[in-house]
Amino acid sequence: MAEIFFDNICKTFPGGVEAVKDFTLTIHDKEFMVFVGPSGCGKSTTLRMVAGLEEITDGTIRIGDKIVNDVPPKDRDIAMVFQNYALYPHMTVYQNMAFALKLRKYPKQERDKRVHDAAKILGIEELLERRPKALSGGQRQRVAVGRAIVRHPAAFLFDEPLSNLDAKLRVEMRAELKRLHATLETTTIYVTHDQEEAMTLGNRIVVMKDGVIQQCGAPLEVYNSPTNRFVAGFVGTPPMNFFAGSLTGDDGDLWFDEGSFRIRLEKQQADHLGSWTGRDMICGVRPEAMGLVGDGRFAGRDNTITVRVNVIEPFGESMDIYVATPKHPHIVARTEARSDIEPDQNLKLHLDMSRIHIFEPGDMGANLSRKGEPAVV
Amino acid sequence: MPLRVSKKKEAIKHAMLWFVLLLAFFPLLLMFVVSFKNNDQFMNNPWWFDAVSDWQWENWAKAWGIVSNYIANSVVVAVAAVTLCLVMAVPTAYVMARYKFPGKGVLYYALVGSMFLPGTAATLVTMFMLIRSLGLVNNLLALILVGSVGGQIVSVFILRQFIEDIPKELFESARIDGAGHFGQIRNIVLPMSGSVLGTLAIMQFLGSWNSLMLPLLVLRDDELWTIPVGLMALDGEYVKQWGDMMAGFSIAALPLVILFFFTMRFFVKGLTAGAVKG
Repeated sequence: MAEIFFDNICKTFPGGVEAVKDFTLTIHDKEFMVFVGPSGCGKSTTLRMVAGLEEITDGTIRIGDKIVNDVPPKDRDIAMVFQNYALYPHMTVYQNMAFALKLRKYPKQERDKRVHDAAKILGIEELLERRPKALSGGQRQRVAVGRAIVRHPAAFLFDEPLSNLDAKLRVEMRAELKRLHATLETTTIYVTHDQEEAMTLGNRIVVMKDGVIQQCGAPLEVYNSPTNRFVAGFVGTPPMNFFAGSLTGDDGDLWFDEGSFRIRLEKQQADHLGSWTGRDMICGVRPEAMGLVGDGRFAGRDNTITVRVNVIEPFGESMDIYVATPKHPHIVARTEARSDIEPDQNLKLHLDMSRIHIFEPGDMGANLSRKGEPAVV
Repeated sequence: MPLRVSKKKEAIKHAMLWFVLLLAFFPLLLMFVVSFKNNDQFMNNPWWFDAVSDWQWENWAKAWGIVSNYIANSVVVAVAAVTLCLVMAVPTAYVMARYKFPGKGVLYYALVGSMFLPGTAATLVTMFMLIRSLGLVNNLLALILVGSVGGQIVSVFILRQFIEDIPKELFESARIDGAGHFGQIRNIVLPMSGSVLGTLAIMQFLGSWNSLMLPLLVLRDDELWTIPVGLMALDGEYVKQWGDMMAGFSIAALPLVILFFFTMRFFVKGLTAGAVKG
């Protein structure tokens, strides 16, 4: 078991491409940390630097008490699971799982015990004599995980391990990995581009873009209080809606004026954002922060917008309504299911004003509504 | 109607295949036929077997007495050359496929470029001088060294392509598991490239087995002769004993036929390796 420290890690590839910039982070012992971000954001490169498969251009990585910058992969006491499983095709499942132990000259009895223990945990005991090509995707994934856990390493590194599985199996394996982490309590770094996977698996998640940490925090903290517009748009399905407009003052209140509608911000927000009055801003609203009826959390004055319905996607208990304002044609609201809403009708949506975010303009605009300091990294 | 046309086309295709096959096998058949004849029988009926009672079995016994030593020499040279060649080619191809280092491109293309240099014709004299200066004239080691170096470039070229096609995650996984370079070669490259290695080994073996010019120049003592040189000596100075000669040729061909029979599956698989995504 070990903590993993990143101190100002930089990675520049030949040709000058900066993949990771000033990456500083502490992953606590037994923590399940997820690196998430779009393709090319540097998450896999960072993971590979921990594994020793990629050289570190600048900064230091520490696993436990040991600085590992120049330590070869085999001596870092880590185990890695790859996206394509990387099972040795000419070896049986047993041989695959025992391979690392054999290279480390563990006695046969110990190898046997560890492989059978891991196989039991993962429910793959009956597969031990098969070769990888005779296994399904899910079984291969289990074997890949098994190969990692027989080592009893200080940390597990997962590089998009579920990406090759179909949607149903992915959900199953997600739960399995979570259970496994709860059982083994090994420090884990998990890389994915799937924000849903990140939200469900991680104790904390790191959202990255262009090699830079955008936010690090507990999944719900990142979801409810994103640091900037990129994080707000990346985390959450369907993504947050953004309205371009401006902050205006009127009757002692602070309003967000989109042009086709205006909403009055809550007093707490108004106090916080008063100094930005008169400036162009972006208003972010999560799909589930829009309701069809103005009661409960949607109750209030001046919190409605009128939209035109484009498409309805019912999911049983809830539904997604794709709507448009004259200025913003792609807005989505997630509401309770109702059968009286038709495409092309005008609809009044009530906003949960406690969950309104005001961002500075631009794709990376800071979230001005965030209360308190940015999450400690 | 279209079916009949297609059948006709099929028939023509098959006829052509049989014709090519016949052309390829006819000399071998003749060799076998003549190996059971004496010179009189050969003059009277060179094209087909005589009655079994007239077969000259002693041709084979006589030829075996002569060529068995040459076959042993050829086996020693071919096996040693092939082994040495692959022992050097595999690590070279591994480094070329897996690692980046300054000058790698130049080195690789220089190696590959040397494949286009004319072989025996251009290098025979210089090679002989080199062998002489090494003191290896009349020594099988000369053939082993030249044979192993000669097949090197093609082997590196083919193996490099093959190793590049092995997913890099397998090597990375092995590195994390604790395998060094030789560990990765032993545990990943060798088990996964069995068919390619088999193909290369057969190709190199054939090359070494059939090599005539260099052994002819280098080997002086007849007990060191390899099979092609020995077979030339079967060709008598004044009278050709066709039956003896052909029996000797048949015996010389047998090891290759046996080798190919047992490794054909590897050979065909290896020739198409990397052609399609596996």
